[in-house]
Amino acid sequence: MSARDLSIPAITLKDIRLGDYTLNTLPLLGRLKENLLREKSSVCIERARYVTEYLKNTPDQESPETRYASAVHFFLSHKKPLFFDDNLLAGTTCAKPFGAPVYPELTGMTIWPELDTISTREKNPILLSDEDAATLNFEIFPYWMERNILETTRKKHGNPKCMQLFERIVFFIASKAGCISHTVPDYSTVLSKGIESIIRTAAEEEKRPATRKLPELDQQIAFYRAVRIAMEGVIAYAGNLRKEALRLSENEMNPEKKENLRKMAQVLEQVPAKPARTFREAVNAVWLIQIAIHAENINMAISPGRLDQVLYPYYRQDMENGRLRLEEAMELVGCLWLKLNDNTNLVPETAEELFGGAGTVPAVTVGGVDEQGSDAVNDLTYIMLRVTELLKTRDPSLNARYHYEKNTASYRNRVAEVITGTRSAPAFLNDVAIVKTLEGQGVSTAHARDYAIIGCVEPGVPGKSYDASSSIMLNLVSAVELALNNGKRPVTGDEQIGPVSGDPASFKRFEDFWGAFTTQLTWLMTEAVALNNLFGATYREIMPSPLLSAFFDMEGPMKKGQDLIFGGAHYNSSGATHIGFADTVDSLNAIEKAVFVDKKVAFPELLSALADNFRGHETLHAWLLHKTPKFGTDDPVAAKNARNLIEFLHHFYQGRTNYRGGRYKAGFWTMTNHAGQGKMSGALPNGRKAYEVFASGITPVSQAAGDLARCFRAIAELPGQCIANGEAVNFKYPSIMNEQEIETMAAAVEAYFRYGGRHVQFNIMSYEDLIQAREHPEQYPDLLVRVSGYSAYFKDLNDAMKEEIITRTAYDVKTGKAVPFPEKHKTMLPFE
Amino acid sequence: MKKGGYAVPNVLSRVLLGFQGRKLARCIESELAENFLSLLLKAMGVAFFLLRDFRKNIVDFEGKYFFKSRDNGITVAAVFKDGEMTVKDTALKDPDVTVTFKDAAKLRDFLLAPKQDILGSMLRQDITINGNLNYLYKFAYMAKHLQLMVTGKA
Repeated sequence: MSARDLSIPAITLKDIRLGDYTLNTLPLLGRLKENLLREKSSVCIERARYVTEYLKNTPDQESPETRYASAVHFFLSHKKPLFFDDNLLAGTTCAKPFGAPVYPELTGMTIWPELDTISTREKNPILLSDEDAATLNFEIFPYWMERNILETTRKKHGNPKCMQLFERIVFFIASKAGCISHTVPDYSTVLSKGIESIIRTAAEEEKRPATRKLPELDQQIAFYRAVRIAMEGVIAYAGNLRKEALRLSENEMNPEKKENLRKMAQVLEQVPAKPARTFREAVNAVWLIQIAIHAENINMAISPGRLDQVLYPYYRQDMENGRLRLEEAMELVGCLWLKLNDNTNLVPETAEELFGGAGTVPAVTVGGVDEQGSDAVNDLTYIMLRVTELLKTRDPSLNARYHYEKNTASYRNRVAEVITGTRSAPAFLNDVAIVKTLEGQGVSTAHARDYAIIGCVEPGVPGKSYDASSSIMLNLVSAVELALNNGKRPVTGDEQIGPVSGDPASFKRFEDFWGAFTTQLTWLMTEAVALNNLFGATYREIMPSPLLSAFFDMEGPMKKGQDLIFGGAHYNSSGATHIGFADTVDSLNAIEKAVFVDKKVAFPELLSALADNFRGHETLHAWLLHKTPKFGTDDPVAAKNARNLIEFLHHFYQGRTNYRGGRYKAGFWTMTNHAGQGKMSGALPNGRKAYEVFASGITPVSQAAGDLARCFRAIAELPGQCIANGEAVNFKYPSIMNEQEIETMAAAVEAYFRYGGRHVQFNIMSYEDLIQAREHPEQYPDLLVRVSGYSAYFKDLNDAMKEEIITRTAYDVKTGKAVPFPEKHKTMLPFE
Repeated sequence: MKKGGYAVPNVLSRVLLGFQGRKLARCIESELAENFLSLLLKAMGVAFFLLRDFRKNIVDFEGKYFFKSRDNGITVAAVFKDGEMTVKDTALKDPDVTVTFKDAAKLRDFLLAPKQDILGSMLRQDITINGNLNYLYKFAYMAKHLQLMVTGKA
């Protein structure tokens, strides 16, 4: 099915707001949403049990690809076909209505100490039956003790320094120990061809006369065989679902439910094995593929991508043929949104406390331009916006692309209106700037125009780029502290961690400190990159991704005969993101101004003030807070240091090659890590007190930038070409009261984008609203907030993260000026 | 008997385990923690001996653990092999995991605090780990389960 016929208008809706459609007129969605909010999460061991059982009982003689594909096939073909509710789409991620699947190959083992207590723990408990706990303890975890990614890597490389550093957690996090997801597959191809076609292609390639040389030939054959095995598992699961739907339908007395089950069985007879013919088939196929991908890969940011583009041909055809009514389309989209919420992450309690509250962040992207550069907004874009507005669910993480020259102002304003309605979603993304950034990474213009967001904010090309965008999360503040302490950090005591970069007291110029800082930073980044590459090599040996590879562009892995993990994608890269950007820049500013320009303080005194957390140094603290340059203002020193830091990081990463032959890319989004890492870091020269949260993403420090227009300009003027792994800019408006204010907000975003801004997201909440929600969580069970690239229920966030969101600067939409923080709560601010 | 889980100790076992268990429970609640590690390992040894279901944890399990205080005042090796646990107060060659703790109280909190804070303990450098973390997770599970049993919560 072709993506677009320009002779037919893409917008046929009489009301792009779809205001007549509510949860009252779409009662199924209302019921399903209530179920979702009521459901408690449960640990699901189904996948872990089948994958482990298969691997335990199969000799380790096959290629890694076929062995792992066979394990995934074994799981999918045994996976229980379950229908928990009246959702129109068949298939579940887990064997629980709201499940947290265990991936023992990755970080699943970290819950071992909590098997007896996870159901009752204080922070985000996850139910686990005694029976399942015993299975994990006696059967599953013992098998993986020496075999998960982390320990395989450690054993092979003798506990290298980079791994020891990672396990300190306060320097960098190498996410690959826990996942290799974070990507946007190609759903269009599989919808139009069906999985049987992929199996046929793989079978043909497997038998193709050998024009290839060994050992590549063996590896290619193994890859195609693995694809076939994994795909057959997907078909087996769909077949089991179909049989069960038919069986349930026969026994069902309620005519409406009976009909839904019968229709599901019909859908499953077609997809995902054969090409989708209808909108319903296409939507269900997307969902089944999402489930299949999670059978192989952890549930972290596997992002469906541009669903308004992928599904539009099916929608349009059904609408034109009179096979689909608007409310049915909305119900199907809503059912997909709710299904995307059927699973969550499994993390130990400490991780919940430090970094918790995130969903699985399957990002959906709408709007923007198409590959030809034309306005791509269509009816389905508005349907997805309306469904998001109605359901207000944590996932999917919705992202609205906006091209200020191609998209209409009415679309722009509608996105702003939805943000006002949900109070947090979607995020706004600037097509002009992001396409240019991708082109700078060697992505063709057509491919760049087709970008979609991965997880939080990272741009990737669906099915063409394998970005592993969350490979490294590096704490920039740790480099500041190491430089201030000649290679040591307060949190790690007297141990010499980093290189000796000089006693700051001996520095004569700011450039000397910058040199020490970049020495520490370079060392940290080198270690992080080294570890990521070691983990990548381990994945190749024990956990390749033939199933995910098959859902990539046919010109990629399927043409090359190469798994994604070996570099099969058209574009390869690894993403690093950075925590504490604004605090680092402001600390550099403070050092430059206070120590070297104004000579207000010498290093020994500054270090002593930091060690004392400014107690007894109140005058200096006030001076640092109020008289030093702040990122987010128009101060030239702040602009210079911000730019220099970004360029430094970009040039470092671009010079490093990952295990797939691609380059590393720098980004600035922090999920909840800025809160967790802040809680483990000492006082900083910018006046931030010890163990307080850092600012999120690339957002200025809370309360540091008093004027939104200047703040927007400061961020927009950063070198976007150097931020190829995305950035999160988080702002708050206390309220948006009417259409005029919505338009003001939308116009502000457009002005920001025309300056060069790349991303922005809002919470429409006052300080007081959020303080009230923190004090009375029971009154706000579904309050959604935008964290740093994704949405979360406020009640699920850890205390530090709640504090950070409360203290984020709120701006008056009419004046653009910062709203004063409530006097009686000022102790909450990171510098008070 | 909890379905699929552990058998609740019978009366005799409960009495026998109770002696070590009470000592351990007192140690957990007390400010004084010097003997914590030896009490824990003794209670574990009794539990392995008396309780078939608890013993299942170490059937077919081989693991070498070395615990030492940062000042080397305490050094304890626990070796699991052939369904038995052997404890020695000497160093150990090629342990699967070495746990170095600031003091016994920190080790106790690390393993048995109501909210087991393995990550937090590592961050604060109360505990440093060298080796395979999964061995530590398994030990922490066994210790926690034992604690819940002796306090009647499992």
